[in-house]
Amino acid sequence: MNLGISATEFVSQVKEGTISVEEFVAKTLERIDKVDKKIHAFITVDSQNALDKAKAIDKKIKSKEKTGVCFGMPISIKDNICTAGLKTTCASKMLENFVAPYDATVTSQLKSEDAIIIGKVNLDEFAMGSTTEFSSFGPTRNPWNTEYVPGGSSGGSGASVAALECLASLGSDTGGSVRSPASFCSVVGLKPTYGLISRYGLVSYANSIEQIGPVAKTVEDVAFLLNIISGHDPHDNTTAKNPKIDYVKDLATGISGKKIGIISQMTGDGVDKEVASATNTAISKLQDLGAQCVPISLDAVEHSIAAYYTIAAAEASSNLSRYDNLRYGFDFGTEGYEFKAFISKARSNFGPEVIRRMLLGAFVLSAGYYGKYYLKAQKVRTMIKAQLDEAFKKVDYLISPTMPVLPFKVGEKIDDPLKLYLTDINTVTANLSGIPAISVPFAMSSSGLPIGIQLFANSFKEKELLQVAHALQGTTTLPEITP
Amino acid sequence: MVEKKEIEHLADLVKVDLNEPEKYIKQVEQILNYFNKLDHVEFHSDDTLGIQIAKDDLRDDVNVPYQDSLIEHLKKDQNNFIRAPKMV
Repeated sequence: MNLGISATEFVSQVKEGTISVEEFVAKTLERIDKVDKKIHAFITVDSQNALDKAKAIDKKIKSKEKTGVCFGMPISIKDNICTAGLKTTCASKMLENFVAPYDATVTSQLKSEDAIIIGKVNLDEFAMGSTTEFSSFGPTRNPWNTEYVPGGSSGGSGASVAALECLASLGSDTGGSVRSPASFCSVVGLKPTYGLISRYGLVSYANSIEQIGPVAKTVEDVAFLLNIISGHDPHDNTTAKNPKIDYVKDLATGISGKKIGIISQMTGDGVDKEVASATNTAISKLQDLGAQCVPISLDAVEHSIAAYYTIAAAEASSNLSRYDNLRYGFDFGTEGYEFKAFISKARSNFGPEVIRRMLLGAFVLSAGYYGKYYLKAQKVRTMIKAQLDEAFKKVDYLISPTMPVLPFKVGEKIDDPLKLYLTDINTVTANLSGIPAISVPFAMSSSGLPIGIQLFANSFKEKELLQVAHALQGTTTLPEITP
Repeated sequence: MVEKKEIEHLADLVKVDLNEPEKYIKQVEQILNYFNKLDHVEFHSDDTLGIQIAKDDLRDDVNVPYQDSLIEHLKKDQNNFIRAPKMV
């Protein structure tokens, strides 16, 4: 049985009866058992429940009962998205044994369409990081070369899909956390428009910029998942009340006559040579398909990293204050502790990146520095949005490499947080402005490491964004991972 | 220049004990120095983005009783009171 098929292909094979859900899920679990010791994409694997669900779905299909559109597709979920009855650890020792009392909206949407949640996948602690090395349970490794990082923070999502340990995954993207692992692991990852998908049940890190996003092998699969998880949710009043769109329909419309802006600030200095050359090839392939590509300058992008980390740290700092060992945390009694000592004892189990962000956040929000950092960061955000609004008057899409660099080795940048932050230069713009962006796998470097191309569209233009991503996907053939 | 005292004070406020204060001070200082880039931005507007929510979109002001499952994780004593450490 081929575990390398796409989610869409899986659905049609199950419908045709050429494969059974139970058989596929069992094979997937075998695969996890075999490869995850090396990759470490999973924090929790829900084997028995997955097999039981698979049997139940097979039975439903056999007796011609109405079956959800996922037909028992095994999906992994980032471990900061709540799943009732299954641990949600955020890759933090603080929540090591936390079982959420309810399902996130996206989780219940997937379940109601008969997706099988095969397990919860690794991330940087509380999604704070770009490499998945800051997980308290150990790093995830890149399936293409296990000496390298898979990107992050949704590294478990990217790696589990690339390593054929599931058919698709949900991640969350605060500053590139879906797109970075998609690029480094050679899969597709979408950061949707702020407000397209409910964040109810996503453990908060930086509420004003983060979104849940699908990760899958193909653009079709991402569109398929988006159909299920997008839309208004009364539990999240930042979700938009837009009419439901079918993202799968007309996916192959093509891009003839479309205009694409090449973002100068994301394609110039500091971009790895092979990444730059892949980007140029992608641009010329899109031109061959009838698109017109023009350079476009967004000078606010130069300030985006400083603005992003100021805002993200500020919001993180307030969100983390709930981990006080009363509502969440370790199980030790309050007797004999003074208030502060009790809380700081529990927090001594936070990892270094979480502590850095708490300190930074508290600093940029403190009375003497608020105007100098936080307020200016918010103004940069407005400036980026204004420049994008102008750009989208002239072009339909924007393009850049997803990551300016190739995947790097595990441990290579871990002691230099600023250097790590700077690798997010091409991704944070979409979060600060709220617009959608997608990473499409496009090439392999001479050393066999994946290169992804990023495409942006204006807010709530996911349908058009998926069309250009689909067109780009069709211009390249990439190697398949060796099983 | 960030003072060691300042970072230690912040650590106290966010209630974390820094096991390697020197390392954190150096890293936080380096990152804040980078954030100083924000001083050189020329702004043409003082606007900041906000999300407006219509009054009609707010939920009705009615009491929604909590479910017991939501407080399962809290530390409780035998009378079902939530236990917190001594404040003073």
